[in-house]
Amino acid sequence: MRVVLPRGRLFERSLKILNDAYFDFSGPDDRSLISEQGEHELLLAKAFDVPVYVEKGSAIGITGKDVVEERGSDLFIPLTLPFGQCRLSLAMPEGVRPQISNMEGYTIATEYPRLTERFFEAQGVKVEILTMEGSTELAPVAGIADGIVDIVQTGSTLRANGLVEVHQVMEVAPLLLVNRVAQKTRFEEINHLISQVKGVIRNGA
Amino acid sequence: MRKDALSESARLAEISKHLRNTLNLWGYQEVFLPTIESYDDQLDKGTRFAYKNEFYLIKPDLTSQIVANHGGQDDMRLFYISEVLDGGVRGDWQFGIEKIGGSDGHLQVEVLSILLSSLKALRIDDFYLDVGSLKVWEKAIGGIEEYRKDILTALYRRNFDLIEELALPRDKKQELWSLFNFRGEETDYEKLSRIVARLDSERVFVDYGTLRPLPYYEDLVFEVYSPRYGQPVGAGGEYTLNGNKACGFAFDMDALVEIFDGEVDGNRRPVNLEDDHPYRSARKLVQEGTAIEVRT
Repeated sequence: MRVVLPRGRLFERSLKILNDAYFDFSGPDDRSLISEQGEHELLLAKAFDVPVYVEKGSAIGITGKDVVEERGSDLFIPLTLPFGQCRLSLAMPEGVRPQISNMEGYTIATEYPRLTERFFEAQGVKVEILTMEGSTELAPVAGIADGIVDIVQTGSTLRANGLVEVHQVMEVAPLLLVNRVAQKTRFEEINHLISQVKGVIRNGA
Repeated sequence: MRKDALSESARLAEISKHLRNTLNLWGYQEVFLPTIESYDDQLDKGTRFAYKNEFYLIKPDLTSQIVANHGGQDDMRLFYISEVLDGGVRGDWQFGIEKIGGSDGHLQVEVLSILLSSLKALRIDDFYLDVGSLKVWEKAIGGIEEYRKDILTALYRRNFDLIEELALPRDKKQELWSLFNFRGEETDYEKLSRIVARLDSERVFVDYGTLRPLPYYEDLVFEVYSPRYGQPVGAGGEYTLNGNKACGFAFDMDALVEIFDGEVDGNRRPVNLEDDHPYRSARKLVQEGTAIEVRT
């Protein structure tokens, strides 16, 4: 079975929960991003790319809800995992706290253009979206955006850049993803895996 | 421009040739509908644009285009091969068929049989056809309609925890769990059992839990897939159009390109230009129905 895990902050906990439940993966011991381990194969991808690998044929993967919703990927999402919780939020420069309904025409920098557009559209507000590839907090400081929509964990990065969280767009947690065809061709195996992961969660993962 | 677009085109052409032959043998007529349609709520997908203060769609979904153009005729057997735009500038090639009118139970078997023989014509053998029923779910949701959206979301995501969180009696959750995990060759639902029996193919399974519940389908839904491709190769279902029972499906042509093992047709009679009267010979061979290759 081919499994895709996200590099970065979710990796260690994702590997642990899968190993506690079903697999016996060892972490990467070099810079390789793919390793054959027994009858399985482990891929390490950017969190943002995990849904693409799963949609295109890897059997299972783990990444954040923010990424899955932004990508709009066509896959099964049988479980929400109990670690790495955070939120996707609108943040503005300190001292600026407009009503959402008054933000028509504002420029918002984000790595999540679809979710940002959907959030503001739901409020009946049209904003200009600047799609960024990281370090989104810089955009208001540099004067090219009025605010940002980004992942917030503790808020320390926002504070360090003079920004304040003003509205939560969505709660974010890691999700277990299953390829639609793998769910059929490996029906028993994947159902067993999901049941084992649930057991680990019940036992306080 | 796409990388290697002409090679891809050659494979699409080869696949299309086999599919067209198969559909002609089944008595289906190819439809040619406009590339651009006036914007209409009935039309799905396609890319919207404005021209002289009017909205239009370019390359919409063909099934929705057939529905929008259907004038109430019954007993129509149609197929199409077309690119469908995704709302932007990218498109996916689709092959699809629609059978409009016919008796319930046979109509669906005809369409599914065409699906099976289309794949057979492409010499694709390692596929599975999963069939399911929306009415089975409607029956299960009967009496708990307030949870309908949550249950369908759970089904769509295949996340039973969403159902576990609902304030439902244990036995109802158990019933939903059984449907969620139902996958086999026999079912209590007579209509589906009859369809599966009439199809009489070892490639067909009943699956209530992993099929996508799309809003316009009424009962039978199905999906075809191959272990060699990570996404469904095709999907379809039954619906009602202007009072007529109808059923159809579409193949993802990109998926077919990936799993089609056949060679681009090389079995042609050579016609050498050095021969006497080569073009007269070529015309005669073609008239007789022989495939030729003019060698320059």
